[in-house]
Amino acid sequence: MSDNNKAGMDDLQMSALAASATILVFAAIYWVVQIQGVREMLDMAYG
Amino acid sequence: MSTSSLGSYYRTMITVAVVLLAMAFLFSSLRIDTWVALKPFFEWMGTTWFGVIGTTWGAAFAVVEAFHLLAMALMGGAIIVSDGRLLGIGFSEMDEREVLDKSHKIFSWGLAVVLLTGVFMACGVAMKIYYLEVYWYKMLALLVGILFAYFVKKPLLKKDLQDISPLVRRAVALSSLVVWFSVAGAGRWIGFSG
Amino acid sequence: MINQAVYNFGVWLDSMESSTMLHESFYMYNWIESTHVLFLMVSLGMLFLIDLRMLGYAFPNVPASKVAEKLSVPMLFGFAVMIITGLLLFYAIPVRSGQSLWFRIKVVLLIAAAVNAFLFHRRMNQSISSWDKDSKAPMRLRIGAMSSIIFWVLIVICGRLIAYDWFDCAHGQSGVIGALAGCVEGQAQF
Repeated sequence: MSDNNKAGMDDLQMSALAASATILVFAAIYWVVQIQGVREMLDMAYG
Repeated sequence: MSTSSLGSYYRTMITVAVVLLAMAFLFSSLRIDTWVALKPFFEWMGTTWFGVIGTTWGAAFAVVEAFHLLAMALMGGAIIVSDGRLLGIGFSEMDEREVLDKSHKIFSWGLAVVLLTGVFMACGVAMKIYYLEVYWYKMLALLVGILFAYFVKKPLLKKDLQDISPLVRRAVALSSLVVWFSVAGAGRWIGFSG
Repeated sequence: MINQAVYNFGVWLDSMESSTMLHESFYMYNWIESTHVLFLMVSLGMLFLIDLRMLGYAFPNVPASKVAEKLSVPMLFGFAVMIITGLLLFYAIPVRSGQSLWFRIKVVLLIAAAVNAFLFHRRMNQSISSWDKDSKAPMRLRIGAMSSIIFWVLIVICGRLIAYDWFDCAHGQSGVIGALAGCVEGQAQF
């Protein structure tokens, strides 16, 4: 029973880690692209 | 003895499967096809009672938007407190279980109002947002945020907090903050677009 | 006389190059406004949680003094950012903002909210030892918390309505509306 609980807890933590890693990677890519776009627009606007 | 046919890591497998399915959807023509298929729905949204009121009376739209911001403030407060507690930044002398459980309740109420007011506002500017790329990013982030809050963070935090590894706590708290900041930021940018 | 002074002050600020640069900037005005709105989550988020604690709806099992103490630091930081960004937003468009009926009502409400907060804080500090662990604050403090929520709801609504030009002086307001909005006879269009 405690092995099952332990496996359950590891599963929960692992799935949380997988989801979090995905979010953080995608968010990093999204915001880098956004900031890059803003920099290009500012270059075009102000030279 | 395993309680699931997928073994003891069924939740992890489901999470990975959902992520892979989402990526397959986002990086294929399915995304565009879905967007095209949604156009009649957005056209209909503009003709609803919400849509007519939103387009006819700017004051009504503005007041509803104000409540959208107030509910967002409440949600944001709940997220800052709970994720701050998980990260160990501040709120340390407040009982952790109490903070996390009650914050989630407040977050849920705030989210309910945000969604209700958001639907009203979307109806008022349906065709404008349909063609706005940043709106779809916001909806994606919102969906991810809701799924993460209710299917990842909440089940995890139901367990004994002492058994959660510090790395997982920090990763969950950080992703929660990042995803909801992205929703809020993208939402703000809608106002400057189109 | 007050309206003339506010108008003159707005015109003087508008003559500053930096005011024009801010108003006509590609992104800066948008970023400042976004920061102003997004920091609502920090300032108002914390404030609402404190008020809801007093009303018994948030963290009822945490001592009220602890909630107020821990949440007030980010709250004050959030308000500091909002004041700075708010002043910059005013500085970017000083004449229109100064003559906006909604902005003026917002300022009055901000003063009222500040007075309410001061009185609330004083009463709370005087009496907290007797009810700190109770799930709800005493009635007088609950009224203060409820007033705080009402003030801030109205402040956010007025803030949102500033963007609407129904009562702008540029549309030739007269009578009570013109006086409340601070329209000055013969003023230049901005």
